[in-house]
Amino acid sequence: MERIHQGRTMDRSRPTRRHVLRTGGLLLGALGAPALLTACGTTAAADRAGNVLRVSQPGDPKTLDPQKQGDMVSMNVLINMFDTLTTRGRDNRLHPRLALSWKATDARTWRFTLRPGVTFHNGEACDARAVAFSIERLLDPATKSPIVELRFVKGVTVVDRLTVDFHTTVHDPILPAKLSLFGGVVVPPRHLAEVGDAEFADHPVGTGPFTYVSWQRDHELRMRAYADHWNGRPAVDGLVFSPAPNASSSLAALQSGGVDLVAGLTPDAAQQLEGYGGVSLDGHTGIRTAYLSLNTLERSPLQDRRVRQALNHAIDVPLLIKAVLGGKATETPALVPRGAFGFDPTVKPFERSVETARALLADAGHPRGFATTITASNVDANVAEALSGLLAKAGVDARVNLLDPGTYSARLTSDNRGALGPVYLAASTVWTMDGASIVQSNVRSDRRQSRWHSEEADRLIDLEELSEDPAERERAFSDLQRLMREEAPFVFLYQIDNIFARNDRPRWTPGSAGVLAMESAEVSR
Amino acid sequence: MSAPTLDKPPTPAETTPRRTGRTGLLRTVLRRLATALFVLLCTATVSFFLVRLSGDPVKILLPPDATAEQENVLRASLGLDQPLFAQYLDYLWGLLRLDFGDSLVYGQPVSEILADRLPATIELAAAALAVTLVVAVPAGIFAAMRRGRGSDHTVMTGVLLGQSTPPFWVGILLILVFAVWLRALPASGYGTFANLVLPAVTLAVYSVAVVARLLRSSLIDVLSSDHIRSARAKGFGPLKVVLRHGLRNASLPVVTVVGLEVGNLLGGAILTERVFSWPGVGQLTVEAISNRDFPLVQATVLFFAATFVVVNLLVDLSYSFLDPRVRTSR
Repeated sequence: MERIHQGRTMDRSRPTRRHVLRTGGLLLGALGAPALLTACGTTAAADRAGNVLRVSQPGDPKTLDPQKQGDMVSMNVLINMFDTLTTRGRDNRLHPRLALSWKATDARTWRFTLRPGVTFHNGEACDARAVAFSIERLLDPATKSPIVELRFVKGVTVVDRLTVDFHTTVHDPILPAKLSLFGGVVVPPRHLAEVGDAEFADHPVGTGPFTYVSWQRDHELRMRAYADHWNGRPAVDGLVFSPAPNASSSLAALQSGGVDLVAGLTPDAAQQLEGYGGVSLDGHTGIRTAYLSLNTLERSPLQDRRVRQALNHAIDVPLLIKAVLGGKATETPALVPRGAFGFDPTVKPFERSVETARALLADAGHPRGFATTITASNVDANVAEALSGLLAKAGVDARVNLLDPGTYSARLTSDNRGALGPVYLAASTVWTMDGASIVQSNVRSDRRQSRWHSEEADRLIDLEELSEDPAERERAFSDLQRLMREEAPFVFLYQIDNIFARNDRPRWTPGSAGVLAMESAEVSR
Repeated sequence: MSAPTLDKPPTPAETTPRRTGRTGLLRTVLRRLATALFVLLCTATVSFFLVRLSGDPVKILLPPDATAEQENVLRASLGLDQPLFAQYLDYLWGLLRLDFGDSLVYGQPVSEILADRLPATIELAAAALAVTLVVAVPAGIFAAMRRGRGSDHTVMTGVLLGQSTPPFWVGILLILVFAVWLRALPASGYGTFANLVLPAVTLAVYSVAVVARLLRSSLIDVLSSDHIRSARAKGFGPLKVVLRHGLRNASLPVVTVVGLEVGNLLGGAILTERVFSWPGVGQLTVEAISNRDFPLVQATVLFFAATFVVVNLLVDLSYSFLDPRVRTSR
């Protein structure tokens, strides 16, 4: 291109061009300006000086309307601004919160007596009417609530100013437990009527220990201590929640003091934080329980109990926990996690032995093993691959099939019980702390994810779901765990720890569910 | 989603009709606007049907232990039980009133959510544009002055490499080097200047290549023209010649391409934001897709399409308006 091409010589209308360049320059200057504005720091430095606790978790809340969310990340934030009727203490028992006491007055009625003198942050009284309104709002299809626990509640009646009756379609023994989180939040009826749903979600008003201050999505949500809380003023003046998408940003935030406590860490992420100065890791036994579901409904080796037992013997769960999860989990012998109501400590895990597994497989007519597929969500890729490796030792050739989380959950809940293949890896967070929640949708033969049909199991499920006597429920759970330990309809894996990383400022002990209720937290200045 | 790689300045649109003065310009503007609206309508239609092929959002909104009945109730209250065509007409009717609907996941109007996330994306694009100019202009000038020598080839090879490397990979490499090995910059996050550096550089790599290559070739063109020779003859030094005479003439096509790159930077933000968890529209789009948040996906896709259409429209119009050769009838 040495030569001049006739058509490409530039025209010389100077003013125009100069004009172009000048405006171009101005435009670029203007575009560059916002970039410089980000240089100003966050308010982290100011918080460090004060009595403020900064908590981060993997995500941001979806909405601040407590009845329009159904995920733990949102609930962890909202539990600080709203109170629930009951709460799960560190002793794993239910304790009073907005309700002082509760009892089943008959098979289909739970009566709750409320705490007197509770007010919302705007001064509105929190009484029986507010509770009834909250439950009705949750059940109203127009609310589009993703909260599903109150499926047996058909109505609420106000008995007097501090007494409400919950009416259910069948006896629901764990209703009080279901009211300890999502379903049990109480919202202010008068305020909602005045401002409407949208404004309420922008500026939530609850009865909780902290009041809403501000929220910058995907950056930080700030709250202030509520001095008039019925349980006394929280120990910290301010509470800040921020999302931390990955371990390296959490580490940087902990070391710079931008965050005091990091919650919801995966074992992977926790390993990346191990061994740094000023960062300590705490693991507490949690209630997210993982298992392999085996399809016994279609013709396959899995229909033979011996094969299912062999898989349980072959998968060395303690080794899996050590190698893949950094030791941050506990073996679960028969689906029900320890800490949950109904857990039977006398039921022991399978003995891990490749020889036993091979012998059982040979007995069942598979001396050379057999081939199958393990389906998992791609977030669990590491565990799925490790499971495949452990099975290979016993001669079982399990191909791993990974799906994106959306496809995985759609197939999990589809009406085709074989949609996720012969073996799939699943986990369930048993936040009600009751065994009923983990067996609810995958054992009884009429439930969606049930892939093992046993009349005895169905009978035991009915007992634990419908009995009014807790002792009877406990017996049913024990029998069910023994039956499942024998029939091995699942490969029982582990309950994963709640892992927290923190600097030296916060003092706080979580409960088994790992809920981030921070009213009891303290920080050293 | 990227502009054609140009080594030559774009010639003024061949489609530009003969015009005489204002009315001609007005007619062109109107015609281009109509085309733009048609493009957006097609985008809205395609995104509407495509996103619905991805599956059922109710399955993601509700926990696995929800009953079929609960799913049906939610589906009905979200209007997802309506016939597809009825939903489509409803969507178009909403668009006419500039109502993009409510997000299925966040429960608030999609337009509000977009407005919340827009500043971060604009910030990132602006920073990337600044990086582009700061790097590409000197590189282009340098290469043009050293034309054909080793240093020219070195710069141009680097540029070509940048143009052909996918941005998410550049991003991951930068994180590895600067955040993991050197611990000099945060791997992700938002709010401080340090957070902005890596994503802005990642996003700028491709644009740097485009602008530098174009500037080099148009400078080389200009430098071989008559008035530059006479400037040289007057004894000006080479750099002075380039800066005072060459750059002026070479920059019109470059300004045009920079305009086009603004569209690219806003659109290219999807992958970059994802890699750096930057809380902008790009990250929002990915989240919306994985949540099957239909209205939100449709709105973000439409937003990116509109950005491109508007930027291209402006560039075309300004080009035909500014380049006198377009205005004289041929």
